[in-house]
Amino acid sequence: MTASSRNGRLTPDQVQSISFPPARFGRRGLDEETVHSFCDQVQHELVTLLNEKASLWEEVERLRRRIIDTGDPAGARPEDAHVQAVRILSNAQQMADRYVADAQQYSRQLTGGARRQRDEVLAEAKSHADRVLDEARSRASRAAEVVASEPGPAASGEWRDRTAELAYLRTFSEVYRTHLRAYLETLLNNVEDWEQSEKASLASARAELPFPFPPAPQEQPPPPAPGPTSYSSPPPGSPPYSAPPPPPPPYPPSPPAPSSPPARSSPPPASYSSPSPARLP
Amino acid sequence: MHGDAVPLFFYSDLFLRHPETRDLFPVSMAAQRDRLVHALGRIVSGVSRADALGEYLQDLGREHRKFGAIAEYYPYVGASLLATLAHFNGPAWTPELAADWQAAYDLVAQVMIGAAAEDAGVRPAFWEATVIAHELRRFDIATFRVATTEPLDYLPGQSVSMESAERPRIWRCYSPANVPRDDLTMDFHVRMIDGGTLSMVLTRGVAVGARLRIGPPVGTLTYRPGTRRDVLLVAGSTGLAPLKAIAEQISGLPDPPRVHLLFGARTADGLYDLTDLEKTAARQPWLTVTPVVSHEPGFPGERGLLHEVLARGGDWRRHDVYASGPTPMVEATVTQLTALGVPRSQIHLEDFGWSEP
Repeated sequence: MTASSRNGRLTPDQVQSISFPPARFGRRGLDEETVHSFCDQVQHELVTLLNEKASLWEEVERLRRRIIDTGDPAGARPEDAHVQAVRILSNAQQMADRYVADAQQYSRQLTGGARRQRDEVLAEAKSHADRVLDEARSRASRAAEVVASEPGPAASGEWRDRTAELAYLRTFSEVYRTHLRAYLETLLNNVEDWEQSEKASLASARAELPFPFPPAPQEQPPPPAPGPTSYSSPPPGSPPYSAPPPPPPPYPPSPPAPSSPPARSSPPPASYSSPSPARLP
Repeated sequence: MHGDAVPLFFYSDLFLRHPETRDLFPVSMAAQRDRLVHALGRIVSGVSRADALGEYLQDLGREHRKFGAIAEYYPYVGASLLATLAHFNGPAWTPELAADWQAAYDLVAQVMIGAAAEDAGVRPAFWEATVIAHELRRFDIATFRVATTEPLDYLPGQSVSMESAERPRIWRCYSPANVPRDDLTMDFHVRMIDGGTLSMVLTRGVAVGARLRIGPPVGTLTYRPGTRRDVLLVAGSTGLAPLKAIAEQISGLPDPPRVHLLFGARTADGLYDLTDLEKTAARQPWLTVTPVVSHEPGFPGERGLLHEVLARGGDWRRHDVYASGPTPMVEATVTQLTALGVPRSQIHLEDFGWSEP
């Protein structure tokens, strides 16, 4: 029996199902001729397969060389694709590194600047307070000396001392009061300036607005709610649109408008001598 | 040769092959790349001194536990290291070279993994902690107390690394300002460094309830008892913390030595813990506290830099000295004391590595 398919090739199925007839009478085993013939067939098949494999391998090599020679990126090898991915990720990482470094640099400058400014403000405040005290002390001392040197009728030593002390304290408190008044006036001026600049900016903002209010999604004021919710509530009679809120006002003590610097002429306001008006004596 | 390109390639390769490893690192990798190059350089140059190298690698292995480096990741790192070397060596990279590197890396990894495994039998990779009190003493100085869930054993004067959930994977060292307590709480003193990634969070960004991770204790600034010498503590700014812990340790001794604590700052408001120190000194006759201010002419106490004050007052030759604070302060202190005749072996330091702005 021969095992052969339609195109003459040997298939695994045929190897699996091959059956050899028993040997002729008088001999043991399988029919020798049939076995030899099958082995020939297997050998032939193996040679064919090996040749086919070699030629396919050559074809693969040829194609691979062509890709390398032409440098065609579309046909990149898998390792090239990986290197490319590494490059892309590396670029992204470097970009992230730069963003973080920039943010850090920015925060360093910001906090450093704030720290320096704080130190300057504190130092200025301290030296100003010292000047105020010195002035009060020296003027009070002079006042006391004047009193002490005045020739008085039957002026006993103790009386003279008391009078001098009284003059000292009176002058001291007067100088201090003057500075305090100047400081409070400056504060008041600042509050008024702040109020006026807010009114002015509201008025100009309203005047600039076309009617009806243009849709501006990012600056749209909150919808009018019942009750005094918005700090820019419209005056009565005005259209029911509130102007976009002005930038938040600076906290009172800083001068709001460049046109009106706080008065720093004589007498110098004790603007820094006390941290907050609430803690003044 | 390729500078930053080599570690850049290495990490990108690692993250592409094993994306789960990306989570072990902070957003910015710039400092990390420097660290990798530094560590590799140290390993390669240390090959000739096997003992020291072994110790370094064991430390490195233990240290990596808190970052989440598990044994499984070590082969990943080795593969990416070899891929990086292959990429940059080009045709010069041979199978023999690759085999040598692989063998060397396996050895390094084995030591690191071994030390980490041994460490894991003794203590956790990190301690979970919760902030239970936080106080801003000045606009840029805070003290806070944390409670850990597990006991953390350290020697007074040592420091621990710390990570905040607000800034993942950024670890910085701080010293507990107290001896270990039974209630598992620790106090820390933090001064904001301009642009400092973690210090800004710890001073102004955390509140009671904030979660922190704390690493194992490190550092050699620890009290040496038994010398019978008096003690001089020199603290600049928040460098006070480890010295406060040491002073507390001394207060528990049956026969405490005399302790002189110099606490220095630029301005009086930088003496953020003086009230507490003076309260302690009033109770403890062996403790003297001297506040020192360098940049405030009107300050009623000692004025000048710490080392200048040291030069002005006293004979320190028979003292054990412990100094902690900004680098320039620590350096000047050592120079000054050595010039005054204090043996270098009696001076113990903690260098914080940052300087006053």
